[in-house]
Amino acid sequence: MFQLSTLNRGLTKGLTTTWVLTKVMAPVYLAVTVLGQTPVMDWMARMAQPVMGLLGLPGEAATALVIGKVLNLYAAIGAMGALTLNTRETTVLALVLLISHNLFVETVVSKKTGIKVTSLVMVRIFGGFLAGMLLNWGWQRWL
Amino acid sequence: MVITGTMPTLAAWEFWQQTAWGLTKLVGQMAVIVIPLMLFMEVMKDTNVLDKITGWLHWTVKPFALPPAAVFPLLVGLVFGLAYGAGFIIQAAKEGTLSKRDLYLVSLFLVINHSVIEDTLLFVAIGAKGWVVLTFRFVASVLVTWAVGRFVMPPEGASVNEEGHHA
Repeated sequence: MFQLSTLNRGLTKGLTTTWVLTKVMAPVYLAVTVLGQTPVMDWMARMAQPVMGLLGLPGEAATALVIGKVLNLYAAIGAMGALTLNTRETTVLALVLLISHNLFVETVVSKKTGIKVTSLVMVRIFGGFLAGMLLNWGWQRWL
Repeated sequence: MVITGTMPTLAAWEFWQQTAWGLTKLVGQMAVIVIPLMLFMEVMKDTNVLDKITGWLHWTVKPFALPPAAVFPLLVGLVFGLAYGAGFIIQAAKEGTLSKRDLYLVSLFLVINHSVIEDTLLFVAIGAKGWVVLTFRFVASVLVTWAVGRFVMPPEGASVNEEGHHA
């Protein structure tokens, strides 16, 4: 039955879980935020530029994509504000970003569950890209 | 020189201020979501409501050969986000209600598809077609999880033994 100990247990678990998540996420959040201030982002964006065509996206979209993958969706959406994209381009970029974003922070969290995460990151990066290509290819045909 | 010397300092100060605020918000948001959810789950557990709900919803994870205990972490992850789902997965791992296979498959599903309401709306707000990204993400997560759960890490049982025998 429901007792005071129920609430006690819930509160303890809630606090413990918050603390575990904080311990795991905070250092990576800090590291990634600092990384976002360095030229590394620009280098990665330049490397990603040539493949943007496969998604039917302009080269400049690489910046938003890299920012989203390294930092988070809010930062990526901020970067998308600087671009002029049509509905197809916005939706394709949104799909790729929704599948793979905030990769460092989210991966350390997954790792904390005790599983091997390399394959998960691969699924997110390549799966996201494939989904984006498929959507771009199918846009005229299905939509 | 003096003036240019002060500029980066000011920028650096602002950067650290923003980062500290961002971090505080991150932790605060987690506490605000995780603590009530854990309380809610414990209450549901002790009143036997959780068993009923996960029992009703077991069919949703049956195709992946996942136990009813996988339902709640999946729901939390889909609605609130990956980190929150992971919080419940970590808890389940501690309590031993999910096996290694279960943990991996739930995580696999969630890394592809999570926080479906908030994240989707962010992009709808800037002109993306919400139903398209929702459908793609949903289909991708179901297909990948099903395929991995079926062929890469099949559940222990008759079919595994048979495959093991052939190998």
